[in-house]
Amino acid sequence: MNQRENFFAMIEGKKPEFIPNSMEVYKTCVMATSIIDSPFQGGLDAYGVNWIATKEGSIPEPNKFMFNDITDWKDHVKFPNVDTLGIEEAAKMELADVKRDEMVINVFSACGLFERMAAFMGFENTLCSLVEDPDASREFFEAFADFRIDCHNRIIDAYQPDVITYFDDLATANGLFMSPKVYREVIKPAHQRIAEAVTSRGVIFSQHTCGKCEEIVGDYVEMGAKIWHSAQISNDLEGIMDRYKGKLIIEGGWDSSGPVSYIGASIEDLIEEAKRCVRVYGPKGNYIFMPVLMNENGNSLLVGDPRLEPMLKAFNEINKL
Amino acid sequence: MSKITEVKQLVEAGKSKKIGAAVQEALDAGGQPVEILQAMVDSMSVVGDKFSAGEIFVPEMLIAAKAMSKGVDVLRPLMAGDNAASLGTCVIGTVAGDLHDIGKNLVSMMIESAGFTMVDLGVDVPAEKFVAAARENDNVTLIACSGLLTTTMPALKEAVATIKASGLAGCKVIVGGAPVTSEFAAEIGADGYAADAGSAAVKAKELVK
Repeated sequence: MNQRENFFAMIEGKKPEFIPNSMEVYKTCVMATSIIDSPFQGGLDAYGVNWIATKEGSIPEPNKFMFNDITDWKDHVKFPNVDTLGIEEAAKMELADVKRDEMVINVFSACGLFERMAAFMGFENTLCSLVEDPDASREFFEAFADFRIDCHNRIIDAYQPDVITYFDDLATANGLFMSPKVYREVIKPAHQRIAEAVTSRGVIFSQHTCGKCEEIVGDYVEMGAKIWHSAQISNDLEGIMDRYKGKLIIEGGWDSSGPVSYIGASIEDLIEEAKRCVRVYGPKGNYIFMPVLMNENGNSLLVGDPRLEPMLKAFNEINKL
Repeated sequence: MSKITEVKQLVEAGKSKKIGAAVQEALDAGGQPVEILQAMVDSMSVVGDKFSAGEIFVPEMLIAAKAMSKGVDVLRPLMAGDNAASLGTCVIGTVAGDLHDIGKNLVSMMIESAGFTMVDLGVDVPAEKFVAAARENDNVTLIACSGLLTTTMPALKEAVATIKASGLAGCKVIVGGAPVTSEFAAEIGADGYAADAGSAAVKAKELVK
């Protein structure tokens, strides 16, 4: 099986030949979301929020908010015209020379509902709004979901992707930012519409959430997510893999906050971590390996790293199932 | 229910629109400003413990801190020059190369609620700036350094080393952030470490007493 065939064997609940590796299985497309949601090189996004490039990706300019009170959102938020965003041009550039029968086309969709509200008004205002102004928050999320669904439909038309990975970091290293109840009452209805709009077009919905979010992983499964991306070990990954076998694939498993992700981690340590992932998660059958190597310049996925090749070589020698 | 008990309950519930009137009523009923402030500090301690125990989440902690801040606004004119309840000044910031501020802001709110005066240096703070701020401000008893990224852990180490080498007397250093562990904190010479905002307030008080 090639990477694509192996991936779809896993998705379809058949036995894959090997553990896929996120660095090799996907053609990851980021241009559309960089234009619309989160400019990777920094600068203004399509809504007028300024982003600052950092070693680990771009973030909204700290302490510069478009508004402070969610009840004012209509006075400030102007959803861009989808026709003028340049999604089709981005698709042409990113998909040139891509062999669709060998790889999985995965389009990233950064800055989801919660993160978008925080991009406009900061995390503290956003988190307070969820409990102090749930009605206004819901209204914002529903309006944003409408726009996001329009964007995803255009992305699906232009890219014909296999997967859309939707990013929304709803958790800290210790747990959810908000209670599961608040998530379910205020955010989830719009989140669910976004997920269902993707899956209704026959595209796999992959949910990215860093941190300890295990309390709502079941909600992700319920709304049709087939992949949980960037699954971190602060969660009970083995339990989740057992519970949702056949329904959810775990992409992650790397100790991304631990010593193997510190700058200067040795090749031997990285190989040991790859082996641990293979040994602990691989046999479950619903696992995509996702290494996170950091160096002085940032994430190796974006900036490269000489340790990647020997680590991947070691992984590929032991990843057979 | 006494007026002070009511103030405590309003802080815990994060009722910032009602707290000002309740604090005023507690004063009118004969409550002393220091007593009312201590009641609010105690409430925030309960809030911090509940957060650390996973009983409440960040929004509930934030609105409680906001309510306390509104209550303190009523007391402040009555307490000018009265430092009896103060634990000193805490200089806080996210270390060089790191622009993340949510964790730092949460910790700042909780440490302030515990009785410190806060000097927030913001994000991307060079090591020397922590030292300069500690020298420029009165009664700095604590410096809190935050780092979210594994790539900025070396900057956290440099910040602690620079502060320790500066010869600042009577000033403790506390560190935290997603990749930081108690082992790492000890290894780089920090005086304290906290895993979350609630326990940061507890540790801050412990370090300066």
